[in-house]
Amino acid sequence: MNLEIVCAGIGGRGVLLASTIIIEAAVRAGYHAMASDEYGMSQRGGSVVSLVKIGTSQSPLIGRENGDILLAFEESEFYRNLIFLKKGGMAIVNTAKDALPEKINNLLVKRKNKCFFIAADDIAKEKGMIQASNMAILGFFSYFRIGPYTREGILETLKERTKGKFLEKNVDVFQAGYTLAHSSHG
Amino acid sequence: MIGNFAIARGLVEAGLELAAAYPGTPSSEILPGVVEFNRREKGNIHAEWSTNERCAMEVAFGAALSGRKAVCMMKQVGLNVAFPPLLRGRGKHLEGALVIVCCDDPGPQSSQTEQDTRLLCTLFDIPVFDPASPKEAGDVAYYALEYSFKRKIPVIIRSTHRVSHAREAIELFTPGTRKVKLDEGLKLKGGKKLGIVTAGMSHSITMDVISELGMSDQISLYKVVQVFPLDKRLKVFVESVDHVLVVEETDSTLEMLIGNGNKIFGRANGYVPGAGELTYDVVRGIVERITEEIGIGKRAFAPDLHIEEALQSVTIPPRPPKLCAGCSHRASFHAMSYVYPEAIFPGDIGCYTLGIAQGAVDTCIDMGGGVTLAAGFYDTFSQDNNVIPILASVGDSTFFHACLPPLYDAVEKNKKFTLVILDNSTTAMTGMQPTPQSGVTADGTHGNSLEIEDVVKGFGIEFLRVLDPYDLSLMMSSLKDAQAYLAGENSTPAVIIARRVCLLSGKGKDQQFFEAIDLEENCTGCKTCITGFGCPALLFDEEKKKVKIDDALCIKCGICLYVCPRNEKGKSLSMFKGKRSPKRATKA
Repeated sequence: MNLEIVCAGIGGRGVLLASTIIIEAAVRAGYHAMASDEYGMSQRGGSVVSLVKIGTSQSPLIGRENGDILLAFEESEFYRNLIFLKKGGMAIVNTAKDALPEKINNLLVKRKNKCFFIAADDIAKEKGMIQASNMAILGFFSYFRIGPYTREGILETLKERTKGKFLEKNVDVFQAGYTLAHSSHG
Repeated sequence: MIGNFAIARGLVEAGLELAAAYPGTPSSEILPGVVEFNRREKGNIHAEWSTNERCAMEVAFGAALSGRKAVCMMKQVGLNVAFPPLLRGRGKHLEGALVIVCCDDPGPQSSQTEQDTRLLCTLFDIPVFDPASPKEAGDVAYYALEYSFKRKIPVIIRSTHRVSHAREAIELFTPGTRKVKLDEGLKLKGGKKLGIVTAGMSHSITMDVISELGMSDQISLYKVVQVFPLDKRLKVFVESVDHVLVVEETDSTLEMLIGNGNKIFGRANGYVPGAGELTYDVVRGIVERITEEIGIGKRAFAPDLHIEEALQSVTIPPRPPKLCAGCSHRASFHAMSYVYPEAIFPGDIGCYTLGIAQGAVDTCIDMGGGVTLAAGFYDTFSQDNNVIPILASVGDSTFFHACLPPLYDAVEKNKKFTLVILDNSTTAMTGMQPTPQSGVTADGTHGNSLEIEDVVKGFGIEFLRVLDPYDLSLMMSSLKDAQAYLAGENSTPAVIIARRVCLLSGKGKDQQFFEAIDLEENCTGCKTCITGFGCPALLFDEEKKKVKIDDALCIKCGICLYVCPRNEKGKSLSMFKGKRSPKRATKA
């Protein structure tokens, strides 16, 4: 099984933590996983992309239209990284909108991309931790049980990776993301 | 773990005894890795952050000459700083071992130049290894330290950011028990029509591309790890195939070592781009083009241009590199370009190079170069009896790294310019390493602290202000005072130390300022704060035609209120506003 996942967002919003959890959950499940991160020169606020490859591949780099999954932690970064998504690939986008502009929508239909919208910022804000929107996306993603990923596996990794006062809220937001996917797609 | 930690682990397992480094992306995490693994293994490794790369290499050299297993780490442009000990020391017989880990930056992503360290090694006869993954980087680190110890000569490990910063699960061994054999040689046996020679991350990418294209049976591939001196088997491989493609970063090192016969596809004949990173798409394009040309494959991948077409319907906000919201450097640069918009601004290398966006950085040559360039600019204008404000800037870590001789030189020769030392008490861009002023050592324990103002005073500099750049009115008036001082006879450079701890460092994180920022209320939509000041927390609301603050990024420092020409705070600074002459304004 080979899986290529693009995690895209902006600096300071937990893209790298999310991708770390994605790699480690795969390793836990017995797969080889690698990631390559791009965060440019900005310490905060710049585009951040983490490319994750799971399975037999040797490099952590993803080619144009090769990504199986695009996790966009910010709507604008979804557009910026859309060229990575392959035909039939899946995307989860953090946005408060329930539809994207018509031309984008047509493109996604034409390329048979399954695209899910989740107002992760609102979910995280509701739970009192706006920085944890990344966890809502992970929770939502975990519902689909793709490749090595299960809700339990990701949650266990998350618990190992976050500590102290953040842990509880992160888990809260993660569960809310999962529940949303369950209620709208179950 | 990341490749840099894997390198640190390999070194520690191989019996490393001393490590010295100057931080520089993408090499900065290796030394902290050494500290961490030494702690876990309860070892006795001495690890230190050096003031610059030359100090790091000489300290490591001293240890290696006297029997220790030593390492120094730096980025590719850092190796330029360490050139004197490298060139003289490469032929020295070591009692111990010396490994130089040098991380290159194809692209470049965060450097002034690309540079290929391997090229330098072949020119000066230094063995060099080019690992292809984090895991291999760990093995190579172990191997290289043993190699150097056995042969008594310094060796270089060349990593790149895609290896140093890639993440992969790494197996840990008990120190001294790792068995490493270089993973070199024939990797694919797909006949004699096309042979590919690869090294480093380019190898891993090429393997993935060949697998995607389903061409493992039509292509032969030879992987190199030790780029210099080359294994003789490579020559045999090259002779055994009809065509050879060389895929390597960053320059044509293997290509030149192999020899540039007619059967080579590479940079010399334009098949491989001469600059920039060899990304997955670039490598896929090269392999497809060549396999088509020699008749063993055809182009399978065609980009779906509908994607670009559809994307034209949305606006994607550009995200150029920016200083953080609330960064005190932004306040300093605002003051500098507000008071003297027409000054010459020699800049330097660090986060604060980004001051270019505020019109307060004109040059970025090399570390410390801003001070000496300022002196050169002064001479140029004073020869023509033309006096113009020159405002140089440099960070605290770079000040210690490379500015002492240039500044002393300028004092001795009465060069008239203002040097703003942007002191955020850390080496921020590379990840918060201590500076000589921090008084903290590499393992976090207490050390000596050398204060910048003591150095400045020791040079005999008369005009010195130490201030908080958030106090814009003091910062602006000090810039004016400095200029007035420089107009006097026999004046030497004026120095302003703009001191405020970095927001990302431990001490800077909990700063509290305003309850709320009332920038939106009186906003007329002039965008002065967005275009000129450029704080990433300031967005423009196209519907309301007003500025909008991004609460997740804003730290409520309130400096933007002083930038706003409508706000009372902004108006209070208007007496400092410098004039732009019409002639220069049109030119700009």
